[in-house]
Amino acid sequence: MADDFILTLQDVVGGYGRMTILNGTTARIRRAAITTVIGPNGAGKSTMFKAIFGLLPVRSGRMTLEGRDTTNFTPRQMLDAGVSFVPQGRNIFAELTVRHNMELGGVALADQSGLPRRIDAMMQRFPILAEKAGAQAGTLSGGQQKLLEVARGLLLEPKLMLIDEPSIGLSPLMVQEVFGILKALRDSGVTILLIEQNAKQALQLSDYGLVLEQGQTRIEDKASTILADPRIAQLFLGGGLAPAAQ
Amino acid sequence: MADFLQLLVAGLATGAIYALAAIGFTLLWQTSQTINFAQGEFVMLPAFLALIAMNLGAPFPLAALIAILGAMVILGLTFKLAIVDPLIKSGPLPLVISTIGVGLLLKDGVKEFYSAEAQPFPKVFPETPFSLGGANFTYAQIAVLGVALAVIMALNWFLAGTRTGRQMQASAQNPTVARILGINVNRMIFYTFLINAILAAVASLLIAPSQFAKFSQGEQLGLAAFVAAIVGGFNQVRGAIVGGLVVGVADNFAPTLLSAAGLSSAYRQALPLFLLVLIILFRPQGLVGRKEERAI
Ligand SMILES: Nc1ncnc2c1ncn2[C@@H]1O[C@H](COP(=O)(O)OP(=O)(O)OP(=O)(O)O)[C@@H](O)[C@H]1O
Ligand SMILES: [Mg+2]
Repeated sequence: MADDFILTLQDVVGGYGRMTILNGTTARIRRAAITTVIGPNGAGKSTMFKAIFGLLPVRSGRMTLEGRDTTNFTPRQMLDAGVSFVPQGRNIFAELTVRHNMELGGVALADQSGLPRRIDAMMQRFPILAEKAGAQAGTLSGGQQKLLEVARGLLLEPKLMLIDEPSIGLSPLMVQEVFGILKALRDSGVTILLIEQNAKQALQLSDYGLVLEQGQTRIEDKASTILADPRIAQLFLGGGLAPAAQ
Repeated sequence: MADFLQLLVAGLATGAIYALAAIGFTLLWQTSQTINFAQGEFVMLPAFLALIAMNLGAPFPLAALIAILGAMVILGLTFKLAIVDPLIKSGPLPLVISTIGVGLLLKDGVKEFYSAEAQPFPKVFPETPFSLGGANFTYAQIAVLGVALAVIMALNWFLAGTRTGRQMQASAQNPTVARILGINVNRMIFYTFLINAILAAVASLLIAPSQFAKFSQGEQLGLAAFVAAIVGGFNQVRGAIVGGLVVGVADNFAPTLLSAAGLSSAYRQALPLFLLVLIILFRPQGLVGRKEERAI
């Protein structure tokens, strides 16, 4: 049933300038589940997220969110449609306070009068952020900064959250904490689309997996099936999959 | 000591005006990578807008308001829409060259359509001197310093204390993340251009009474603002403030220092460039600067 899919990509082509990175990418992302995108470095995983979120023009193909065509929506339109994006790397505003960083996550909120209440609720959910509310965000540890980014991305209460490599540079304990948050979100009905370098650990946490290589979807299946697939090890050793694999 | 205080206060008063121009310069750079080589002319023009309004019978306060609004329309809105927006996509060089062109246009426009002569400007604040601890100051100096600092404080409050101000900061620090959060980055950039125009207009109205208004004034003002921005680190508002004050104070101490060193006072003109070279050689990140960092 098509309605199981919150987000679809059909033969999406796009890239930087004349360079093509997404080369007919196709995906069907299931609602209220965690789907992890894996693939070798440079496969186009981050580029895929940028295209979904309207940060990169799509040359051809089509994307839908809940059946609605969102191809070449702007980021603001994607936010309004219930999607938020936590990009790869460090994306806090180091010189603003933790609270003010969080507040910026509410810029797209239609009813601004509800913003302080939402910020307070988010602070309660992440006590460490409440504790540091008045501190410059740059003084937080790497893990705390990632938490802040996730919290900021949740402020609009999105239906779908795109998260690009949240665990990079975090301590194992912090990784567990972030993954725990993602599971709790999924259990509350939020759809999570995740990119992870640590494929095995991420797939263990996920419901579904998607293997991207050279801008094309090679495998789209249950996470447990992908975990059991011998070809995955081969892929991450640099062997590569034949396009006919599906 | 009294001489020292006297020169210091005079220097801070000039420096605060330079700081206004340097802050605007820095803001444009931060938010839109525009290096505005017409900044000196931006500070020259508003005084003439005020003069035109006064020639038409407007009292000074109204003329000052017209100068500020006129600057917002010409140096803010029109500059952004007609020059920056079409060129920004082509990289920094075409834009830099165009701002040089805009500077020439403003300068020669004023010369052609107003006057090539220096124009006396109403003394808004009394030039009457008073002495304190043996040093002589004028009320005008103190008032100029006060107004400039008040404007700077108001700007700081706006940038740090309002949601729009923080959205502007976010857009400058990391435009991609700002867009991801739904901030209208282009509108924030537009606000920066308006703020720059206001700062230039205030600087213009503050400097005109003591230096007169002259079409060619922008050369020296632009250089001072540029050097102040570099001295301060180029990418920070508080750097521009420090830079402006340093350049202003250095400028006022220059004649005394030059004569003490047995050098001609003509070297004073070269002082900003000398400061520039010193900074680039010994502290390229500026006095209070930090290295640029940008994610994504
Ligand atoms: N802004 C950009 N401009 C030009 N090329 C880019 C840009 N960003 C990425 N690329 C190129 O696009 C290709 C795909 O990059 P992308 O970041 O999507 O890969 P990825 O799958 O996320 O890899 P990683 O695991 O290293 O994060 C790479 O070859 C990269 O060099
Ligand atoms: Mg990536």
